[in-house]
Amino acid sequence: MSEAAVPSPTSSISAQQLAGYGVAAVAAVLVLYPVFFLFQAALDVGDPQIRPPTAYGLDNFSGIFQYPQILLNTLTVSVAATVMALVFGFVMAWILTRTNVPGRHLFEQLMAVPYYLTPLLGALAWSLLGAPESGFINQIWRALGGSGHLIDINTAYGIAWVMALFEGSVAFVMIAAVMKSMDPSLEEASQIMGASRLRTMLRITLPLVVPGVLGAAIFVFAEMLGSFAAALVLGLPNRYYVITTAIYQLVQQYPPKIQVAAAMGVSLFAVMFFMLFLYRRIVMSGSYVTITGKAFRPRVADVGPLRYLLLGVCVLYLLAAVGLPLATLLYASLQKLAVAFPAAGNWTLDNFRVAVTMNAVRSALANSLLLGFGTATIGVVLMGLLAWLIYRSRLPASGLIEYVVMFPQAVPRLVFAFGLMWAWVVFPVPIYGTLWLLLLAYLTVFMPLGVRTIAGVMLQIDKSLEECAQMCGASWAFRVRTVTIPLLVPGLVAAWLLLFIASIRELGASILLMGPHSKVITPSIVESWFGTSTELTAAMALIQTLVVACAMVVLVAVTRRVGAHSVE
Amino acid sequence: MMPASPLPKPHIEVDRLELHYGSVPAVRGVSFNVLPGEQLTLLGPSGCGKTTTLRAIAGLEQPTAGEIRIDGVTVYSSQARINIRAEKRGLSMVFQSYAIWPHMTVFENVAYGLRVRRTAAAEVAEKVHQALDMVQMGSLASRRAAQLSGGQQQRVALARAFVFQPSVLLFDEPLSNLDAKLRADMRIELRELQHRLGITSVYVTHDLEEALAMSDRIVVMRDGLIEQTGTPDEIYRLPNSAFVADFVGSANLIRGRHRTDLDADGLVVLETSAGHIVHAMAYGRPVGTEPVVSVRTVHLRLSTEPPAATRNVWRVPIRQTVFQGDFTQVHVGWGDQHLVARCAAMEPLAVGRDVYISVEPRHVVVLGA
Repeated sequence: MSEAAVPSPTSSISAQQLAGYGVAAVAAVLVLYPVFFLFQAALDVGDPQIRPPTAYGLDNFSGIFQYPQILLNTLTVSVAATVMALVFGFVMAWILTRTNVPGRHLFEQLMAVPYYLTPLLGALAWSLLGAPESGFINQIWRALGGSGHLIDINTAYGIAWVMALFEGSVAFVMIAAVMKSMDPSLEEASQIMGASRLRTMLRITLPLVVPGVLGAAIFVFAEMLGSFAAALVLGLPNRYYVITTAIYQLVQQYPPKIQVAAAMGVSLFAVMFFMLFLYRRIVMSGSYVTITGKAFRPRVADVGPLRYLLLGVCVLYLLAAVGLPLATLLYASLQKLAVAFPAAGNWTLDNFRVAVTMNAVRSALANSLLLGFGTATIGVVLMGLLAWLIYRSRLPASGLIEYVVMFPQAVPRLVFAFGLMWAWVVFPVPIYGTLWLLLLAYLTVFMPLGVRTIAGVMLQIDKSLEECAQMCGASWAFRVRTVTIPLLVPGLVAAWLLLFIASIRELGASILLMGPHSKVITPSIVESWFGTSTELTAAMALIQTLVVACAMVVLVAVTRRVGAHSVE
Repeated sequence: MMPASPLPKPHIEVDRLELHYGSVPAVRGVSFNVLPGEQLTLLGPSGCGKTTTLRAIAGLEQPTAGEIRIDGVTVYSSQARINIRAEKRGLSMVFQSYAIWPHMTVFENVAYGLRVRRTAAAEVAEKVHQALDMVQMGSLASRRAAQLSGGQQQRVALARAFVFQPSVLLFDEPLSNLDAKLRADMRIELRELQHRLGITSVYVTHDLEEALAMSDRIVVMRDGLIEQTGTPDEIYRLPNSAFVADFVGSANLIRGRHRTDLDADGLVVLETSAGHIVHAMAYGRPVGTEPVVSVRTVHLRLSTEPPAATRNVWRVPIRQTVFQGDFTQVHVGWGDQHLVARCAAMEPLAVGRDVYISVEPRHVVVLGA
C-alpha cells in the first residue's frame, strides 16, 4: 500500500531555485559589473589611453585634494541644504501632525508634490526668479528703487535653498512618520504625573523623536552629497562646482580626466555608503518609536488663533516649492522674451509649438516615453521577482541578494552611470550611445525603488494566503498565478508608475550615457537651458511635468484603491 | 477467522521529530500517532512547538530530523532524504488568520481546491454549495471575501478546507481570533462537523477548554517536548507533572515525605513539612521518597461543620475570598502554605474564620517523576 516516496529535498524545489538564482544573477551583473569598472578606473594610474590599465595605485585619490575648493563647496552646500531641509521638514511635520491647523489632511497630501516636481524644475524656475541680473525678483527690486540685486541664486546658499525646498518633503515624510508612531499615552502619562506642557515637551517628546530626526538628517545629508541637478543649473554659470558637477565636468571636458573623476566617484560613494549604513543602524536600534511601525492618532494641540499663522507657514512653503516655480515657468514659457513685467506684444504660444514640433525635442520626448514604458514594464517583472526572492523565497542567499539590489541607493546616479559608461565602452556588444544602455542604466539605478515598492505590498500580504493555496494542493506556478500575482496587482501597478515617472525625470545617469542619436528629455532640457532659450526650456520642462503629473494622478487613484482593497 | 479487533493502523505517524530555526530548537524530538478518524489536539503555551509540529506535518516547515508518515507513506524522513512538498501530501489546513483570499468571492475561495484538482464545473458548483450549506454560508456564496465578518470568514475557511475531501484536516488555532461567545458556539459546530465528516484531524490550541471539549486525545507540549499524552479525561484527572496539573485547570501542588509505614488500603500517605498527613493515590505510578501530589482546586470542599470523612480533613483559617461569578475562590492557610479552593454557590465566609477543608483521596494524584 505504501507508494514509493520520491523526490529529495533539493530536487523538489529546483524550478523555484533555478528561477530565483537566475534573476539574482542578472541583478548582480547589472549592479556589480559597472561598479567593478568604476573601481578599476579609480585605481588606474597607468596611461589613461590604454585599457585594461597598465598600473594600479592610489594616486588618483590623492589627486582629489588638488581640488580643495570643490570639497569645501560640497560640504557647504550639503550642510546648508540639510539644515534647511530639516527645518522645513520638522516644522511642517509638527504643524501638520500635532496642531489643529485648518486643512491638515489636504496639506499632508500636498507635501508629496515638491518631491515629484524635481530639483531640476525648481532650479530652472528659481534661476528665472533669482539670477542676480535677470532674475524677476531682482528686476522688481530695481523697479522699486533698489540697487544691485536683492537675492543671488547662483551661490552656495541659493543652490542649497533650492535643494532644501525639494528634499524638505522627504524630511517631512520621515519626521512626520516618527511623530505619528509615537504613542500619545507616553505624553499623557507625563502630564498625569504632574509635569507641565513644557517639561513634557523637553523630557518626553523631544527625546523620543530625536533618533528619528537624526536618522532623517543623515539620510537627507547623504542625498544632498549625491544631488546633481540644482548644482549644475545654478552653479555652472559661476563655475561653482560641487563634487557631482565636478565629476561631470572632468568626464565631459577634453581631454577627460577619467581617473580622477572615478576616484571622486568612489570616494563620494564610500561616504554615502557609510552615511546610509549609519542611518540603518539608527533606525534599527535607537529609535524605539519608529520600530513598532504602529500608527497612533497623535495628540493634536489646540493652538488657538496661532493656527492661522501656522497655516500661513504651510502655504508659504508650498508656494516656494511648488506654486511659484510652476507659475514662473508657465509665465516664461508664454513670453517671447522672459522679463518680469509683461508687455502686450510679448505673449506667445510659439515656445510650445516649437517644443512639440522641433525634431530634437520631439525625438527626446519620444525616446523618454519609450524608455519609461520599457523600464517600467521590464522593471516590474524583474523587481517583482527580486522582491519575492528576497522577502518570500527563503533562499539561503536572500540576505546577500538584498544587499546587492539595494546597493545602487548608496551610489549617486551620475557616478553609477559613469561606471556603466566605462564598462560598456569595452563591452563587445555595441550598445554604448544607444537607448539600450539607458534602459540598462535605468533598470539598475531604479532597482531599490522598484523592489522596495513591490516588497511593501508583498509584505502586507499574509504568508498564510500563499500557504493555504499550497495546502489546497496548488503547485508553485499555479499559486503564483492565482493568488500571489492577483494580490500584488495594485502594488505592481504602483511600482510601474513610479518607475515610469522616475525614468521620465532621470537626469544624472542619462546626461552621461545618452548618445547624439539617443537623446532623452531631461538632459535635453538642461542642454536647451545652457544652449538655446530660456523660454523654450520652460515650455519643455512644463511638458515633462505634465506627463509626470498624468502618471501621478493614476498613481494616486491606484494607491487609493489599494487602501480600500486590503483586508482588515 | 479474523482476529477480533486488530489495532487500527495509525493514519499519521510522527517519529522523533526535531525542528531547529538556525540554532534555536523549536521541536526537540516529538513522537505521536493519530488514528484514522481521530481528533488529536496539540495543547501547550505559546512557544511550546505545537504550531511548528503542525506545520511540519503540513509540509510548510522543513524539519531538522525525524520522520513523518501519512497513510503509511513517508512524507518526510531526514535519513532517507525525503521531503514531499506540502501540495503533494493530500492534506488540508485551516489557518489561524483564516487566509481568505480577498480578491475572490466566497464561492471561488471554496472552489479553489477542487479547481486545482481539475474537477468538472458542474461538480465544483455542486460540491461548493454542499460545503457552504454545511457551514451555513450557502446564501453568501457570491460575496466578496473582504465583506465577511470574522465568524463568517472562519466558516468559509472551514468549507474550503474540507470540500475536496482531503485525507487529513489540520487546524492551527482556528478559533483564537473570535470573541468568547462565538468561540464557544464554533467549538460545538466544529466538533459536530468533524464527526459527520469522520475525518482525521490534528488541532492546535493553547485554550484548555477548547482542547478538552473537542479532542479524542490530547498531546500536551512544553518547550518542544511532549509532556503528556492521553484522553481529555486522563489529562485532567491524572496529570503526570506539575506543569500539566497547573496548565490543564488549576491545581494545588503538595510536596511531602512518603510515610510507607502508614500506607494502607491502596493509598499512599505522605507527611508535609508542617506535619499534615495526606492520603493520595498513585494510579500505578512509582512513588519516590519525596512525592509531589496534585489536588484540583474544585475538588477541595469547605464546610463549617466537621465532615463525615476521617482522612484528608483539616481545620484551617480563611485568608482571602475572591468572588468570580460562577464560583468563589477561597485561599486558606495550611501550615506554611496556602491552599486554593474553588467553591460553587457558597454563602460568604468571613476572613479569619476557621472552617473544615477536605478532599477525597482519589482526587489527590501522585505526579510522575
